[in-house]
Amino acid sequence: MSTHNQGTELDLSWISKIQVNHPAVLRRAGQIQARRPVKKEWQAAWLLKAVTFIDLTTLSGDDTSCNVQRLCYKAKYPIREDLLKALNMHDKGITTAAVCVYPARVCDAVKALKAVGCDIPVASVATGFPAGQTHLKTRLEEIRLAVEDGATEIDVVISRTLVLTGQWEGSDFIKTSTGKETVNATFPVAIVMLRAIRDFFWKTGNKVGFKPAGGIRSAKDSLAWLSLVKEELGDEWLKPELFRIGASTLLSDIERQIYHHVTGRYAAYHDLPMS
Amino acid sequence: MAATRAGPRAREIFTTLEYGPAPESHACALAWLDTQDRLLGHYVNGKWSKPEHRNSVPCQDPITGENLASCLQGQAQDVAAAVEAARTAFESWSKLPGAVRAQHLTRLAKVIQKHQRLLWTLESLVTGRAVREVRDGDVQLAQQLLHYHAVQAHTQEQALAGWEPMGVIGLILPSTFSFLEMMWRICPALAVGCTVVALVPPASPTPLLLAQLAGELGPFPGIINVISGPASLGPVLASQPGVQKVAFCGALEEGRALRRALAGEGAELGLALGAEALLLLSDAADVDSAVEGVVDAAWSDRSPGGLRLLVQESVWEETMRRLQARMARLRSGRGLDGAVDMGARGAAARDLAQRYVREAQSQGAQVFQAGDVPLDSPFYPPTLVSDLPPASPCAQAEVPWPVVVASPFRTAKEALALANGTPRGSSASVWSERLGQALELGYGSVGAAGARREACGLRVDPAVPIGGCKESGSSWHGGPDGLYEYLRPSGTPARLSYLSKNLNYDTFGLAVPSTLPAGPETGPTPAPPYGLFVGGRFQAPGARSSRPIQDAFGNLHGYVAEGGAKDIRGAVEAAHQATSGWAGQSPGARTALLWALAAALERRESTLASRLERQGVELKAAKAEVELSVRRLRTWGAQAEAEGQTLQVAALRGPVLRLREPLGVLAIVCPDERPLLAFVSLLAPALAHGNTVVMVPSGACPLLALEVCQDMATLFPAGLVNVVTGDRDHLTRCLALHQDVQALWYFGSAQGSQFVEWASAGNLKPVWVSRGLPRAWEQEAEGAGPELGLRAARTKALWLPMGD
Repeated sequence: MSTHNQGTELDLSWISKIQVNHPAVLRRAGQIQARRPVKKEWQAAWLLKAVTFIDLTTLSGDDTSCNVQRLCYKAKYPIREDLLKALNMHDKGITTAAVCVYPARVCDAVKALKAVGCDIPVASVATGFPAGQTHLKTRLEEIRLAVEDGATEIDVVISRTLVLTGQWEGSDFIKTSTGKETVNATFPVAIVMLRAIRDFFWKTGNKVGFKPAGGIRSAKDSLAWLSLVKEELGDEWLKPELFRIGASTLLSDIERQIYHHVTGRYAAYHDLPMS
Repeated sequence: MAATRAGPRAREIFTTLEYGPAPESHACALAWLDTQDRLLGHYVNGKWSKPEHRNSVPCQDPITGENLASCLQGQAQDVAAAVEAARTAFESWSKLPGAVRAQHLTRLAKVIQKHQRLLWTLESLVTGRAVREVRDGDVQLAQQLLHYHAVQAHTQEQALAGWEPMGVIGLILPSTFSFLEMMWRICPALAVGCTVVALVPPASPTPLLLAQLAGELGPFPGIINVISGPASLGPVLASQPGVQKVAFCGALEEGRALRRALAGEGAELGLALGAEALLLLSDAADVDSAVEGVVDAAWSDRSPGGLRLLVQESVWEETMRRLQARMARLRSGRGLDGAVDMGARGAAARDLAQRYVREAQSQGAQVFQAGDVPLDSPFYPPTLVSDLPPASPCAQAEVPWPVVVASPFRTAKEALALANGTPRGSSASVWSERLGQALELGYGSVGAAGARREACGLRVDPAVPIGGCKESGSSWHGGPDGLYEYLRPSGTPARLSYLSKNLNYDTFGLAVPSTLPAGPETGPTPAPPYGLFVGGRFQAPGARSSRPIQDAFGNLHGYVAEGGAKDIRGAVEAAHQATSGWAGQSPGARTALLWALAAALERRESTLASRLERQGVELKAAKAEVELSVRRLRTWGAQAEAEGQTLQVAALRGPVLRLREPLGVLAIVCPDERPLLAFVSLLAPALAHGNTVVMVPSGACPLLALEVCQDMATLFPAGLVNVVTGDRDHLTRCLALHQDVQALWYFGSAQGSQFVEWASAGNLKPVWVSRGLPRAWEQEAEGAGPELGLRAARTKALWLPMGD
């Protein structure tokens, strides 16, 4: 992430002035998919673009170096080479935006990426993920250790205790949720966040990134997320420095759709390599 | 295979991330047109009718200009045949149990569901509107409308007891309409038992398709008949014997012309004119969401017209910035493309918008246009007009599609003044997160020049009435109000033409015949009250002359003041001054006042009875009439308290308030007969519903009304009721032509009725005329029936969307 939020004086009047009309936001959320269908070549190109925004993620208690390695390989080769060739996109160096793992797996990920010759960043969910309810000291230490191991991006779980009591924090990127909540990335929430990003940009000139995470599984969903960002923030936000999708199974559905686009047939599960 | 399916474009799109076309195939629409050999006629009595020797006009794709089909231009005899079919169908359709009609409507809804693709592609193809809006909006709503009205038909015998279907309904639709406008009107009409003849402009095949789908359902072929023809056939349709009501939607001037043309024709006229909407955006609004509201209202092919946008000054800059940023992301294109926001609506709509914008510019306005819009001719970009001087002609004119005219306001009060400051009164939405403010703006300046209907985000639901006021026409669709449009009290005689061809509108009631003194007043004391009752007191008439009133025996009963145009002007002014005070009274306070008047009349019984006796009524009958008049006041007083407002829960999040609002200043010309009972029977419902009134009492014996005025002078606030005596034709003329009288009830001659209908075209005030027919005032149904209450107020639906 090259851009950094330079920060600004905390002005709580910005927050107190914000009005959100809930029914209207729900309505807008409902319209996003219906109003901007993307078909044929456009769909293929958009899906490949979506791949480049993915933080390919594994966040399981039973992660080992073996499946992290597989994940990193998939991050480097997200779409079958012959499919990319058919689209004349094989020379574009399409990879996912990053891989995202627990702090203890950062080492494995860095090693695996190096082994396949891939220079995408390793992101880690440090700071007492997913609740964030640990001491500040251990949380900072966690970040330090992850960075030492080679992580270059940290998804910090903010202390929601502070937020709910009106004490806010700043950031380069804002993320809808940890992906471990009962409700994760939803369009209405995203709309409110994207509008806040735009307001902040208009006020300070700083571009804050956006990462929806959790529950984004289908290729169709990913298209809707792209058009949502395009509609609310514009094309300048549609780059990995400012937009990421946190997902684990999304990639395989995208690959399946590309397969269908290229061959005209629906793929069997064994037709595409697993991650 | 791969090479053909994936072109080299993907590489390029990967970089630009542009949107591509998402075309909807319209093959089925073309196939349907082929079944008609690309020649469309009329659909009458369940059959296609393609009479010979008719002119035809091409039905074109508004974007490519490609000829899709030829459409016949109907002639008068085609209209007559359709009306005949509808009359025949009415005989059986109206006599069916509601439950059977409900079943039929449900079956039609299912047919639409099964063939919806054909419907939406055809509609989008020929109108150029965005297919997404037709598919997800119109077609779904059409089915909901049928279902809702099927339910209404099912419960009709209980819920609408005392009412019967009017008969054949003529429906006249404009060239820029969606087939939904037809559905909004035919559904309630069919539900209550009416049958329909729709006159649609040539080159609009969707109504014909709908009629075909309905006709093929079988047993009741003639209930929906569609004639395609020029607007000039409108009066022909309206004047066909058997047509009981004409519902017109379209342009203001066409509606006005139709109102004049139909004066005396017998058929009732329901107008829905213009298409402009209004949006109020306060400083407590979620501006981004409100901007989406503007997009929905003006730039998403939902609404047929433009939008007036009132923005609070403190958020003006912010709103303009967001609006302009949002506009840049709008996409126009072929309507059949699923990814466009706006289609094209043909050359006429484009020219209209272009003309308006150029004029606005020349009058000093700023114009901002943006969006991804194809450069070729039928398209017009989303347009935002600001800084339009308030007094410029464009600021007063109706805003056309796809234009938004934004102006700032300072306070809520000013917002209402600006909002209500046009001759139009159609739907409005208020954006504010402060509930109190939103409600204040929503209720509008109750009782002032034009209170408005309120909607958030311009929502629609079959159960919620939509309508307008002032020059937007006073007809309703949706909800219970939509049903009453096609009902009349049971037993009402059919409406026949009462046209008097030699009536000269220019001279009717223009001059007052001069009256001479007829000797001194005789008879029992006290002498009758004298003067015009205006502004709470008896005043001398401007003309300073009087007219003698004779009793039943040819003797002089008394003199009354000879009122004239200036007195009417004064009375209307006095009534206006009283409107906000009276409309602002609680229903309880209105009840109390009406009951107080009732008690006063009881005390005055002997005087009133003796005056009635002098008019030839027997003492016993006279006493009974006074008693009945007292009861009328009590009944309506009680109703004022009981009616209240209703809260309805719509399918969407949030309830809907259905308000019954006063019309404003209501002018009432009383019949000659029943000088006391008719006067009170008309006065009471008008007051109970919060109107202020200007009344012209019985011409034969105005003295009884003046007796009542003596009590009103002490009990009522000044100006609430004003009574002007004089030459009825002259006073009627003054009232009917008055632009600031909000409604007029006329009970008198056929010629007077015809004049009133003609003259009401000026400000399009709703009128209720007796057509020269007598009315049984002593009977409950005619003297105090629900029809009076229905006509004494208008409905306003207030959406209250909820959420934190």
